[in-house]
Amino acid sequence: MRVFLGFDLLDRQILDSEGLPVGNVDDIELAVGEDGVLSVTALLVGAQVWGTRLGGRLGDTIAGMAARMQRRTPAGPIRIPIDQVRETGAAVTLAISRDLLVEPELETWLREHVIVRIPGASADPEADKS
Amino acid sequence: MKRLLGVTLGILTAIGGFVDIGDIVANSEIGARFGTALFWVLPVGVIGICVYAEMCGRVAAHAGRPVFDLVRERLGPRVGLANLSGSYLVTLMTLAAEIGGVALAVQLLSGIDYVLWVPAVAVALWLGLWRLRFETLERLFGLTGLALVVLLVALIAGDTPWSQLAGQALDPVPTEGEDWNSYWYFAIALFASAMTPYEVFFFSSGGVEEHWTRKDLLLARANAFIGFPLGGLLAFGFMGTAAVFFYPNGISVSTLGQAVLPAGLVLGKIGLACAILGVFAATFGAAVETGLSSGYTVAQYFGWGWGKYVPPRRAARFHTVVLLSILASVALLLTMIDPIQLTEYTLILSAVVLPLTYLPILVVANDRDYLGDRVNGKLANFFGMVYLVVIVVAAVAAIPLMIVTGGGQ
Repeated sequence: MRVFLGFDLLDRQILDSEGLPVGNVDDIELAVGEDGVLSVTALLVGAQVWGTRLGGRLGDTIAGMAARMQRRTPAGPIRIPIDQVRETGAAVTLAISRDLLVEPELETWLREHVIVRIPGASADPEADKS
Repeated sequence: MKRLLGVTLGILTAIGGFVDIGDIVANSEIGARFGTALFWVLPVGVIGICVYAEMCGRVAAHAGRPVFDLVRERLGPRVGLANLSGSYLVTLMTLAAEIGGVALAVQLLSGIDYVLWVPAVAVALWLGLWRLRFETLERLFGLTGLALVVLLVALIAGDTPWSQLAGQALDPVPTEGEDWNSYWYFAIALFASAMTPYEVFFFSSGGVEEHWTRKDLLLARANAFIGFPLGGLLAFGFMGTAAVFFYPNGISVSTLGQAVLPAGLVLGKIGLACAILGVFAATFGAAVETGLSSGYTVAQYFGWGWGKYVPPRRAARFHTVVLLSILASVALLLTMIDPIQLTEYTLILSAVVLPLTYLPILVVANDRDYLGDRVNGKLANFFGMVYLVVIVVAAVAAIPLMIVTGGGQ
């Protein structure tokens, strides 16, 4: 597949197989194959790689903070192997559900410590749709 | 009926842009100082927002992508972040002003100082954003906000000197005692209020919230082409009545109470009550629009889950941003900052961030990856380009004019 990395992949929205948002393509992982050709091996998501790409003092600070706050092992950004990508268009669509991917820590933390403690957090706003 | 209700997204978006608290007072102030000499800005603004909202609606319906997604994608993470910071700041300051505006409307009815109402209004707003369905919010505030039509009724029912108004409108120069600097300052503020960035964030995200698909292109267009002209017309209600009742007598307008007064002068208590109800709904609607937009912009920049069509637990970061934005707005208001002045500065600041919002929209509206054969035609591109130039000129002139005129004083 031939793509313009900076244009067709970077900073695009990633959707899972059901169309739910996973994150943005914050960076990509490249590898040199045996034939010496450079190819994309994975999409990377997370504040750490986003901060690094942002660069400058602000970017470095964000990347450093994100790295320090991480608890999961192995540490590092969320990595989505390129063979899980089904389609690249207006968004990058995956072939798998986002439940199979690591959830960003901030989302987990805020859900468990803030959002579910407020009554009505699980109410489906469209359940009563007539 | 269902078809009619389908355009409430456009109506609420436009009300939040054209007749939110700052615009209500700005339109009245402009009418009182310049008569209708600045009338031309309203149609210019209406056409501009229609052109770009139509593009956003098309992208939302055809590709399912809201605007802020495109901003980062086309401008990269750094410039995208600069735009996010600017837009978020404008949206947050406007949110604070709207909460203050709702509180001011309640003050008009109750006589109790608005600051005391601020916490109650904020709680009501948050409850609405947390519990009510998107369509419910949109219909409730979009349709009730239409009560502001009472000012147009006042214009028609009263003995309005139409030929005089037309004469002022056709002689678009500063009126006696005003100079070109303040003339252009108010022109830019009025133009920016028509094209505030959160309008397109809200409009396109709303299209996604309502699950627009390729079949809904017509609906998206109807929303843009009915909603925004209606918003402009309601704004003219304030400018026109002020031009009739305040301008000839040299009365300056600076409060909400003065802005709604003409409705009472012509139509009595009922008219005044309708105007206050309309202001209440329009400012509350604008608070809904800016409150949600604060979450939309941040979540879409980072690619997080967002929106009211999923349960809050599925969009924890989005709802946290909305909650924190409301809390920050309350804190800002409790410093006793004047909500009306706050929006007037916000309008000028928003003029500065406009180019970074509208350029990516124009680019994407020409991208076949997104729109297939529904890309911009020649007409849309012509207007898109013309308005982009106008937006850039306004952005460059905004801050110097604000300094030179001392904020239009």
